[in-house]
Amino acid sequence: MLSSALSNLLDPAVLFFVLGTGVGLLRSNLEIPPAIAKFLTLYLLVALGLKGGSALAEGGLPADGIYAIIAAIFMAALVPAVSFYILSRRINPFDSAAVAATYGSISAVTFITTQQFLADRAVEFGGYMTVAMVLMETPAILMAVVLATAVRAKEAMQQQAAETGTAPEEDDDFAPLSIRDVLQEALTDGAQLLLIGSLVIGYLAGPEGTAEMLPFTYDIFKGMLAFFLLEMGLLVGKQMSEGRAKIDKALFAFAFVSPPVNAAIAILLAFWIGLGVGDAVLLAVLSASASYIVVPAVARYAIPEARPGIYFTMALGLTFPFNIIVGIPLYYAMVQMLWGM
Amino acid sequence: MRQIEQKKLLTIITAGELQRMVIEQLKKRGIGGYTVVSASGAGTAGLESGMLMSDSSVIIYIIMSEARLERVLVDMDKFMSRGYRVKAFYQDINIMPRKPGKSSPDS
Repeated sequence: MLSSALSNLLDPAVLFFVLGTGVGLLRSNLEIPPAIAKFLTLYLLVALGLKGGSALAEGGLPADGIYAIIAAIFMAALVPAVSFYILSRRINPFDSAAVAATYGSISAVTFITTQQFLADRAVEFGGYMTVAMVLMETPAILMAVVLATAVRAKEAMQQQAAETGTAPEEDDDFAPLSIRDVLQEALTDGAQLLLIGSLVIGYLAGPEGTAEMLPFTYDIFKGMLAFFLLEMGLLVGKQMSEGRAKIDKALFAFAFVSPPVNAAIAILLAFWIGLGVGDAVLLAVLSASASYIVVPAVARYAIPEARPGIYFTMALGLTFPFNIIVGIPLYYAMVQMLWGM
Repeated sequence: MRQIEQKKLLTIITAGELQRMVIEQLKKRGIGGYTVVSASGAGTAGLESGMLMSDSSVIIYIIMSEARLERVLVDMDKFMSRGYRVKAFYQDINIMPRKPGKSSPDS
């Protein structure tokens, strides 16, 4: 476990993340131009989709893959439901819904970093795990929006009861968002569409078709990942040094405790259904990670009452570095231990 | 020389993700012309670095008549009442119309 954690920490990509965090904390003037930063996100999603689609075309969808996808969807429903139940007892229900959505969804970069971690150790995993990742992205935000809508309706009824005799003003342009609106917003999110599109292209082109793209998807991948993690480190460091978001103790603890707990549940589930080591680690990471791209973007639109300074900062500033530095080797060690018994 | 017209310049600062929603609302008020600039900064919503798609801000500039401005400000007020993080402010401007000798249509 310790050697695995140490070798992960000495991985150049992870070291660049640590460097970025340090530089950000020092409030240095080092910055990656926003357009390049956004390009790096798009590059990683294209590479991830092409690799996943190509692997899926080569290996098909075996029984293991179907079980893994069902387990992933189960975790995508369980994590936000339990998170909302726990959080809404302590904090504002809208913030609870947004945090639950963030933690119920996934971080593609944590997933990519884990794939690289497994590849470095020659641990095999299925291309269908990318499909599982895509399917885990949306259920949490939908569930959170339903919860937020219920809270909003309850608050409106209470307000109406307090102001007896005054009916709430109706305005079609400002009617509450429907599930259809939110679904459209979530499914047309640029990052989500690019990932799904790349996955389909990778599947249609197959291993032969994508072979010509290997210099783009494989050869430069690790370097691009390192550069992206430098950018993420800078962002995390700046978030920390700005210190604007007031994360209370309960949320702070949630950001560090919920990932290993969710990972442990996912690992037990993976063990029960008989997944391989690589698939189990990826399922654990998907369950333990929090979205800081798609869900925060959709939540701003769908749950405007929630504070982005809380759910975005928790996902990016606390849980993301935890998973990159401690989580991935920890979940790998847990899987190795359980599978070796 | 074109005759200078008096108009209002409305500036809206919001999250990049809300740009589409704000612009759709402007269109409902008959406003089809606007300028959008990407921005970064910080505020009650935390740091908006502009490095990720989820933490980017935009500044939307719209030139319009006073009558139209009032309706748009009511819309922005409703957005803010629903919790959307939108900042709106306006200023008087003197502008050269696009067509000489003819009052230019609102944005």
